[in-house]
Amino acid sequence: MSQNSIQYNDFSCKTCLYNLTFQNNENTLRLFHFSLFFIIRRPLEGKSIHKPKAKQLKMPPSSAAPVSSAKGALNFNLPGINKGSNVVTIDVGGQFFQTTKLTLSLAGPKSLLSQLAESTQIGPRFIDRDPELFSVLLSLLRTGNLPSKAKAFDIEDLIAESKFYNIESLLINSLSNPSQFEAFNLEKSLVLPLNGRDSPSAITTTPFGTLHVSHGSKITSFDWALRKKTTILTHFSAIDSLLGITPNLAAAGATDFSGLQLLDLQKGIVRDTLNWENATKSGSTVQAIGSSPEYLFTSFESSRRNSNSIMVYDLQTFSPVTEIGHYEIYGADLYSAIPTTKLKWVESYGMLMASGSHGGPSGVIGNVRLWDIRSGNVVWELKEEVDCFSDITVSDNLSAVFKVGVNSGEVWYIDLRKLRNESDGSNPWICLGDERKVKNVKKEGFGCKIEEHGNQLFCTKGSDIELWSEVMMGKQTKSEEGLRERVFRKNLMGRVKDDGSSKITNLGFEGNKMFLSRKDQQSVEVWQSSAKGV
Amino acid sequence: MAEGLSDSAPTPTPSDRIKLNVGGKLFETTVSTLQSGGPDSLLAALSSRPSNEPVFIDRDPEIFSVLLSLLRSNRLPSTARRFSKQELSDEALYYGIESQLRSAMSPPPLSGIDASVVATIRPASDGLPSAFTAEAGDGSIWIAHGGQVSAYDWTLNHSCTIRTHLEDITSLCRVWPDVAAVGSDSSAGLHFYDFSRVSHIGSIHWTDPSDPRIYKARVTAIADSPDKVFASFDCPHRENCILLVDKSTLQLVSEIGRQSGSATKTMVSGKLTWLPETGTIIGSAVSCGAFGYSGYIRIWDPRSGSVVWETNEPGSGRSSRFGDSFADVDVDPVESTLFKICSKSGDLAVADLRKLSDDPWVYLEDKNPSLRYAGGGSSSVLHCYRGQVFVGRDGSLEVWSRVEEEEGEKRIEGRMFRRNFVDKLEDSERGIVRKIEVGGDRLFVSRENVEGIEVWESSHLSGAVSLF
Repeated sequence: MSQNSIQYNDFSCKTCLYNLTFQNNENTLRLFHFSLFFIIRRPLEGKSIHKPKAKQLKMPPSSAAPVSSAKGALNFNLPGINKGSNVVTIDVGGQFFQTTKLTLSLAGPKSLLSQLAESTQIGPRFIDRDPELFSVLLSLLRTGNLPSKAKAFDIEDLIAESKFYNIESLLINSLSNPSQFEAFNLEKSLVLPLNGRDSPSAITTTPFGTLHVSHGSKITSFDWALRKKTTILTHFSAIDSLLGITPNLAAAGATDFSGLQLLDLQKGIVRDTLNWENATKSGSTVQAIGSSPEYLFTSFESSRRNSNSIMVYDLQTFSPVTEIGHYEIYGADLYSAIPTTKLKWVESYGMLMASGSHGGPSGVIGNVRLWDIRSGNVVWELKEEVDCFSDITVSDNLSAVFKVGVNSGEVWYIDLRKLRNESDGSNPWICLGDERKVKNVKKEGFGCKIEEHGNQLFCTKGSDIELWSEVMMGKQTKSEEGLRERVFRKNLMGRVKDDGSSKITNLGFEGNKMFLSRKDQQSVEVWQSSAKGV
Repeated sequence: MAEGLSDSAPTPTPSDRIKLNVGGKLFETTVSTLQSGGPDSLLAALSSRPSNEPVFIDRDPEIFSVLLSLLRSNRLPSTARRFSKQELSDEALYYGIESQLRSAMSPPPLSGIDASVVATIRPASDGLPSAFTAEAGDGSIWIAHGGQVSAYDWTLNHSCTIRTHLEDITSLCRVWPDVAAVGSDSSAGLHFYDFSRVSHIGSIHWTDPSDPRIYKARVTAIADSPDKVFASFDCPHRENCILLVDKSTLQLVSEIGRQSGSATKTMVSGKLTWLPETGTIIGSAVSCGAFGYSGYIRIWDPRSGSVVWETNEPGSGRSSRFGDSFADVDVDPVESTLFKICSKSGDLAVADLRKLSDDPWVYLEDKNPSLRYAGGGSSSVLHCYRGQVFVGRDGSLEVWSRVEEEEGEKRIEGRMFRRNFVDKLEDSERGIVRKIEVGGDRLFVSRENVEGIEVWESSHLSGAVSLF
């Protein structure tokens, strides 16, 4: 256990280059989230329609000191630079480079390059590495983007070189920066094949850019560049819930297997098993896993299926913190305890959304609860009896709960800022489609998935993905146009030729990419915007 | 940089040499070369420094060498091919010489008789374009598709997408460099969206306090002028007008050309163009019914709101072409000419906007024997650009270009134009041409039920194919 946490912290330190306040071990994960969103200095946001004028540029050329007396350096046509100036000369494998201390300091305090900037040695500093690769990484430091000559190199070489200089996080940032996620510009760009005959049952990502896919009893992990993979074998016959915690550690569970396992994804060993001690002393199967920056949440159900609970663990130590939402089935009333099958943390509200549904002879019913985990109380609860959700999610950025109705197949939302506990049984959901389809007998929304990422909502319907976005309009114009309070509009993702593929079973997001798996396809599709793909 | 401009410093003369240290590589050039980047550029600012010390710039030396030879010779060296367009434009933006790069990289003047498809812009989602505009004139394009508007910059890279509240945008106009005006056949009003704020910034609706029937009017055409936006509105009961909107405030100014819409000669304009020479607005409407095509062309003076000139077909003028009314009309505001394509014969006719009369049309004579059986004019689209007229007939794309005449009075004659195909037979099989527009020497073509927009350019490169 201790070994695990040390490794993990070390990795975070490398990545948290910009967090000067980074001190507290408890908060590493949270800080890491911010660092990924930190945009490296880019004087040219070429993407914007407003072109900055030359005057606005952030990096005025510094005045160099007079040419020093003729030395060996001049043989390389290299202008001499005085000591004490901001310009640093580096000799990489026999080739001279000059840059400013400011540029080198962007590499972060732990990097070799910022150490060079601080050293007081006179004359060029020598690094025994390949100059070509260095020039690519220097361009990355200067502009925040990889130059096109980087295409001449294999990404593996660049990764290895960036590891040497300790600036891998910059490379990750330039290749899979979440700020480059352009929902409207996503195209199918890669297919990651999985060996064997099992199709993916769960997809998870980590903030480190890694992707983990469970298929059958195996978990295949891809590195952030999607170039390398490792596959491990687990005890499960099939994995139903999977959550990546660090690139080397994932929590996995199944509805037919007792206990939540913490798996080492490199060695393929179980580091720890977390169990819920239920009253009947039977096993506890895992129904859902979720996490917040501090906690790991797991929804357990007893093997006899007569009680269920949500356990809260510390994400660093995996020791139990608290237990919320313990329900027992009384008598024949199955509905008194529907286990939670989706857990989603709402960061800005500090609450956990837990939802579960049950299909019976009278149709599908379910419930949605928002838990305050500190007090262990339900803050808001909704019973779903008509057009119960087929899938449900909550978006922090859009401040709304979204569901896709199992009967209607339409997307509905509830504004988080206007939550009320419906005592009169009225329907709080606002429909983003045809409301009358609630009375559908056909289960049009069956198997639909709904996920949020950034400012968008992604809803899968069969083989299609609907992309929902909010249109920002003034209050006055909305009433003029006869529009509702909030305006959401959808688009179908992908091209016409994408039609005819099979149903989407899983959806995941990380960095600037979207991952999805399809029914009976032993592969994972990667979607990203074409311009930034390498 | 302020100290460099002090009075005591000697002003550098254009022939003075200057040294630059870019990322550790020394470059030597003259002040005049650096100043050719324009007075606002970073390099011009550097050139006014008095000292002989090399100025250090912390950028990549290889791209700089490309940009320096661009400044020296006004052309891009072949080493520029090692860098992507995006990279070059980012770097040129840094040095403040983007306009030089743009002029060096932009295609040669578009010649319809020598153009080929160089790219197809395909939006990532809902890729069927419902409208597009290349009005910026620098080779950039805005595409409306599935309720979204996507902007592609002059390098044809996607720069941003905005989702509007409309489901189907059928009219799109560039009002400001980052403000689009959109209208839809299926939803009321003219709407303004700001790309930089990714938000809706205003709407214009046609209302009349004295007439409650005037509501839910839809926009069928939008035209841009230096200070106003013109939009034709159509009510569900077919009454229509043109509204003038102030561009700086986005507020309604006035209403002109109100028509009942009860007949084809009073229906809403489907095309509007601003004529800068006379300050008038020209609108046209064409409809196709059981008895063939009918419609009108009308010029309004926006100051008085009165009709300056009009023609209706069928039924106006003593035309020899009775029964052969127009299928599409387009204006060339630069050349002050008006073109129409005849629905039955497929003939092209031209009129001089400066000498309009009852029957101003001059019919162009078709001399190209290979096009003799090219078909009629139904389902044709027309676009004119600097003396060239592009015609989409079903799937095929042809161009009528003016033959250089001898010195003398410029008169419009039927023999002045030659007709040629722009495309090859296989190009025409991709689909029916729906819209043609030229901007920044690029020809943009959209086809019915085909994803994406074709980009055609002229090129001086032979494009020789090696058979080894």
